Parts: sequence; structure tokens; C-alpha cells
Amino acid sequence: MGNTVKYAYIVARVRAMKSKLIPKEMYPKFLNMEIPEITRFIGESEYKNDVEELGKKYSGTDLFEHALNQNLALTYRKLIEVSQNEANLLITEYLRSWDIWNIKTIIRGKFSGAKEEEILEDLVSAGQLGYRDLLEIIKVGTVEGVIAALEGTPYYPALEGFKGNLAEIENNLDRTYYSNIIKAAEDTGNKLFLKFLRTEIDLKNLKMLFRMKRAGMERDEITKLLIPGGMELKANDLARLSSLTFPEFVRALEEYSYWEAIADISNEFTSLINIETRLDKYGLVYASRISYYYPLSVLPILDYILSKKIEVDNLRMIVRGKETTLPEEIIKAHLVM
Amino acid sequence: MAIKDNIKPTRSELIELKKKIKLSQSGHKLLKMKRDGLILELFAILEKAKDIRAEVEKQFAVASQKLAIAKSAEGVVVVKSTAFALKDTPKLELESKNVMGVVVPKIQASSVHKKLEEHGYGIIGTSSRIDEAVDSYEILVEKIILAAEIETTMKKLLEDIEKTKRRVNALEFKVIPELTEAKDFIVLRLEEMERENTFRLKRIKG
Repeated sequence: MGNTVKYAYIVARVRAMKSKLIPKEMYPKFLNMEIPEITRFIGESEYKNDVEELGKKYSGTDLFEHALNQNLALTYRKLIEVSQNEANLLITEYLRSWDIWNIKTIIRGKFSGAKEEEILEDLVSAGQLGYRDLLEIIKVGTVEGVIAALEGTPYYPALEGFKGNLAEIENNLDRTYYSNIIKAAEDTGNKLFLKFLRTEIDLKNLKMLFRMKRAGMERDEITKLLIPGGMELKANDLARLSSLTFPEFVRALEEYSYWEAIADISNEFTSLINIETRLDKYGLVYASRISYYYPLSVLPILDYILSKKIEVDNLRMIVRGKETTLPEEIIKAHLVM
Repeated sequence: MAIKDNIKPTRSELIELKKKIKLSQSGHKLLKMKRDGLILELFAILEKAKDIRAEVEKQFAVASQKLAIAKSAEGVVVVKSTAFALKDTPKLELESKNVMGVVVPKIQASSVHKKLEEHGYGIIGTSSRIDEAVDSYEILVEKIILAAEIETTMKKLLEDIEKTKRRVNALEFKVIPELTEAKDFIVLRLEEMERENTFRLKRIKG
């Protein structure tokens, strides 16, 4: 079976799902609406069932955020359910980032002695681990118990040997996620998926480099955390960028294609938030562009996964931003469109 | 007057009173100097207190905005989850220092503003929105600790100035005038007794 045939069904489903996403022209309109108006609009949209279901437990903007998260989780899980063979494998591997997020939240919660209900509220079961699996893990009393409960999963190697350093196992989990997903992509021989993934790794490494360089971290500490396997930023590039001073590092980025995303704000380093938002926008535009070139491949699915996440992020940004009385220009600057 | 009723008009009492007056006057002079010194200290600290209060308010606005951005862009769920990772609480050591006899606190804080890699959460899975919210709140806590030290010092200085002022006034308007009055009374009585004695001797001779 050829690649195009393999993806025909799932891509058709994804196209139909993508058509239901909120069009980007709506976001400026949301900015002019009051929170109740936006909530009503959302309550009558694709999020209707989630808002109704969670309405008994939450209210106001909390209801809004939890409904968005639940819808995101159900959408992603639906993708896992309706896909088959290679598509299913790659989607499952890609969405493991949510399993990692949930595992981190459970371990953090156990580490700080939070209640089970508190931890449960912060989980988004959008990965392979379902709500029930996560519930079982939460019931375990200690961090060590949670790690033992995950024995036999792809996450265990990153967790074993935990000696109380939470940041270390969190970083291990993220690095394991990327090495596993690269391996899975290489095993399937899906070059398009690998290309997408390597660009995502580059963007992730760039964001981290900005943060770590500005924080003045040492070269060895930086290289230890960077994720190998990027598209343009190979191991020697990462090693070179890690050893430069912050201004040198920024100048050195001119050599890479990602520079176009940040060139006009490359002197504004009082905050890195704008840089991160620009790189996120670059990732979204990139995914959307390459998915048009290869319409019957894994790329339209990945583009949809990103677009759905961006929709949830944008809606939350507008509603929470309005709730916390953030100036409109700040809200606008954070919208990825 | 009550003071005159309780005073024995004797020479020894007069000597005792003169000693007390001298002591009160030198005490009054010293306390006045202390009061003036404390007022000068207070003015210096007042400027610092005003500055730090303004800085705390400014930093609070910055931190609130950074947290609002983190909550809006990343979600409350992410902010709460990341907050679970922070187990370390700032360590405060309370020492004291002496400003013109007034014991004021000196607060030594550690583990407040931490480096990026010491925040407790992993760097790969988080964003600069979280970093900036954490950083700005850590800076706010540092400023609050400094403000607490300065404002407590100011409060203690004010209390001591008030106490010293009351003592100076009591010495100046009550203790010293009463002692002086008592001394004058004894001098008068002793002179009177002297005159009575002279008169009595003259009458015996006559």
C-alpha cells in the first residue's frame, strides 16, 4: 500500500475536523467582545458538550479553560482512535508529549504533597494514557511509587534512578520523548514526519538557547539539555552556539533560516516572550505550508494537531487576558495566527 | 505644694538635690542629643522606605502582569503544575543591629531569587513565560523582605523617638523645675533658720 493511500482516510477525517476550527478572522472579533459573549459563542460551538459537561464542576473562566482542555484531549484521542497502522503509530508517538506532561504533573504534585483532586484537575489526557490510567497512577502515594507504577512504559528509563532532583527527571523525560519519536520515525522511514520533527526540535532548541544564554548558564550545562536531531541546528552548531556570549549567539543566528522569524525584534531582549511567540508562529506557518505540499501524508494531521492546540491557546489567551485585564496589545502579541 | 511637704530642709538634702539636678540636666542634654540623632536617622531611613515602597508597588505590577501572561498563554493548569515543582521556601535569618541604642532588625534572606536551572522544574518542557513570572515574583519577595526590614526599623525608630521625646519633656518641664523649686525652698528655709538662730543668740546675749 502506497503512502498516499495509507493516509487518504485519516487525512479526509482531519480535513473535516480542520474545517470546524475557528477561523482566524474571528480572533480580532473576540478581542472586541466581553467575556460572557465569548463564552456564549464557545458554548454554542464545537466546545458545547465540554462546557455543558463541566458546567456543574467549574464556572467562569475556569470552566472555559477546562472545557478547552477537555475538548483538546478528546480531539487528540479521537485522532489516535480513527488512525491506523503507520499514521496511528506516528500520531501516538507524537502525542506522547501529553503523557509526559501528565506524568510530570503527577510527580510534581506528589513531590509537593498536593492532594489527588488538585493533581487530577491539572491533567490533560490527550496522549496514550487515558484518564483511568492516570487515575490509577495518582492513587500511588509517593514519587517513587509513581515511578514504579510506570515500569514497563517508554517513560521508565528516564525516571529510574530518581534521587530527588525533579528538574533532572523532567528534562530526561523530554529528551527521551524526542529520542523515541525520532527512532519511531526512522523505523517507519517516514521522511516527511522526520523533517517536521527535526524543525520542531530546532525551534525547541532555539527557545531553550535564548533562555539559557540570557540566564548565563555554562556551556556544558547548556549542551547537556539541548535535544539532538535538529534539522539546521546539528550537534556542532549547538556546541558552537552554546559557547558564544549572548550578543554573539544572537548574531550567529543570522546564518539560519529561523532568523527571518525574529530579525525585526532581535534587539528587544528585556523579555523573551515575544521571541518565543514568533518562533511558535514560525512553526505553525511551516507546518501549514509543508502540509499543502504533501496533502496525502502525515503532515496535514500534524498541521491539524498544531492548529487545534493554537486555537485552544488563542481562545484561552483572549479570555484569561481579558479576565486579568491585560492590555489588548499584549493579548494580540501572544495570539498565534 | 506636695514636693515641699515631703522635703526635709537640711543641708544634706540640699547636697543630694544639687546632685540630682546636675544629673538630670546632663541626662536631659544627652537625651536631647539622642532625640535629634534619632530624628536624623529617621529622615535618612524615611527616604529609603519611600523608595522601597515605590519599588515594591512597581515590581508587584510587573509580577502580576507576568503571571497574568503566563496564566493566559500557558493556562492556569500549566502554572499550577509548574508551581507544584517548587518545594524550596526562602530561608530568612533574623539578626539585629544597633542604631543609637535602638535595636533594629536585619533580615538575611537566601534562596529567594534563584538561577534558571535552580527553579526546580525542567527547562525543556517549560517556557520563558513561566521563567519570567517566577523571576518577577522572586524579585518581588526580595524587595518585600527589604521593605519589611526598613519599615520595621522606621517603626522602631519612631517609637524610640516618641519615648525619648517624652523623657526629654518630663526632665525639662517636670523633673528639673520641681528639683530646682525644692532646692530653692531648702535654701530659703536654711537661710531663714540661720536668721532665726542669729536672732535667738542676740536675744540670749542681751
